[in-house]
Amino acid sequence: MSISELVCGDGFRRFEGGRITVSDDTSRPFAVVDPSKLELTVESGVKCRLVILHTQPNEMTARIGLEPDAELSVADIYLASTFAEVDVRQKERSVCRFTTVEMQSANVVYGMSLDGVGASCTSDGVFIGSGDDHCVFELTVRHNVSDCTSSSLVKGVVGGRATGEFRGLVYVAPDAQRTDAQQQSRNIESGNDAHIITKPQLEIYADDVRCSHGATVGQIDDDAVFYMRQRGLSEAEARRLQIEGFVGDITMHCPVESLKEPLTDILKTKLEKL
Amino acid sequence: MLIIKNLHARVADKEILKGIDLEVRAGEIHAIMGPNGSGKSTLAGVLAGNEKYTVTEGEVTFEGRDLLAVPVEERARMGLFLGFQYPVEIAGVSMANFMKLAVAERRRYLGEEPLTASEFLRLMREKGAIVELDSKLTSRAVNEGFSGGEKKKNEIFQMAMLDPKLAILDETDSGLDIDALRIVATGVTKLHTAENATVVITHYQRLLDYIVPDYVHVLYNGRIIHSGDKSLALKLEKEGYDWLINDYKE
Repeated sequence: MSISELVCGDGFRRFEGGRITVSDDTSRPFAVVDPSKLELTVESGVKCRLVILHTQPNEMTARIGLEPDAELSVADIYLASTFAEVDVRQKERSVCRFTTVEMQSANVVYGMSLDGVGASCTSDGVFIGSGDDHCVFELTVRHNVSDCTSSSLVKGVVGGRATGEFRGLVYVAPDAQRTDAQQQSRNIESGNDAHIITKPQLEIYADDVRCSHGATVGQIDDDAVFYMRQRGLSEAEARRLQIEGFVGDITMHCPVESLKEPLTDILKTKLEKL
Repeated sequence: MLIIKNLHARVADKEILKGIDLEVRAGEIHAIMGPNGSGKSTLAGVLAGNEKYTVTEGEVTFEGRDLLAVPVEERARMGLFLGFQYPVEIAGVSMANFMKLAVAERRRYLGEEPLTASEFLRLMREKGAIVELDSKLTSRAVNEGFSGGEKKKNEIFQMAMLDPKLAILDETDSGLDIDALRIVATGVTKLHTAENATVVITHYQRLLDYIVPDYVHVLYNGRIIHSGDKSLALKLEKEGYDWLINDYKE
């Protein structure tokens, strides 16, 4: 079953975008397909999950607010080229987790504002570009108050003549003491005409903080390819397996269990075109 | 099974192998010894098809085929196995998944039906027992976070899974403690039959206490300068290489 069919099924609560306030816990995740505008508020103490699926070229603006102690997990999946701007504001002790999967040229800009003491956010993502794709993943995390935690791990793979860009910024306001922030960008360029541009940045105005960031750009590991071929796998299969292994942990941490398998399948299909 | 004639090979601009002649028949165990830098690992790499090395002269026949014309993966499917000195870590790829693909390729080459999931799991358990491999390791990523001993056991486990005609074990004993050495070496012995052959590359005689070779060859400066039976290894352990290599020093 395709992801589109899946999120239209009984396991999900479909809505058409626009404004929505979640005021009760719900085990069924919300699902919205190709929204152009989305305003979601998760009320105090409420836990919920959301799937945003992009299946056709589109522009989206999303405003998400988490009231104190709210918890939201989002799977944001781009199967078509989309310009997206996602703005998240979090109050005290709220928890927000994003898993982003970009399978096409897409320009995705996240702004996470940690506005309440003790809030935390995790933004993990993967983008895969083949052919002439241009994937952009921009993430700004603003630690506006003290005692907040943020972490992000974004993995990129590009092949063909594709370009992948990661632009990351962690901002720590002057009074945001005891901030814990991590940002990692890891990438593989497969082939000579594929390009990765990665710019993780820190802007820190407080002194009692723990912040780290890093970026790596690598090639396919030839030793690993040789090792797998020596066990009988074809070169193409060895390369694909290596990249699958590299990005697989992101999709395996997708907050919606039933999406893991179809996401892995989409990933495999995309990697075959690399 | 394997016939090597006048094999020359280089890495970058440096000639490493300068005329190797060796024949390995079914049922035999050969040990290749020699000082560091004599070309032992290069020989293993060339036979496996590592593209880092360029063969400049000579021929290699394996199972009647011109081995040097066969791609790496095809050599493996034919039953040529290389036990790596430094097994490679592959993040995010589980041992079980990796072995499933490898076994499927080998079986397809042999014209055998693919294994069912339960047959495969049984095979994993059975072969893992040969080297006392912790069953948890097979659900972890290939070699990732494995200890030195676990990596080497894992090489022999893979050898057991793939049931090769010819296994070339490149310093499988390096980095092993006494217990791990015994387990790994005993595993290799258990896998030896009259139909297959093993070439062990080693620095130390102690491995050959377990894996008793039919022939011991000394590789020096890119050539096999001396061959003998298992007593040669003992003599080398006692007397070193000097008595042999003096005549060949450049």
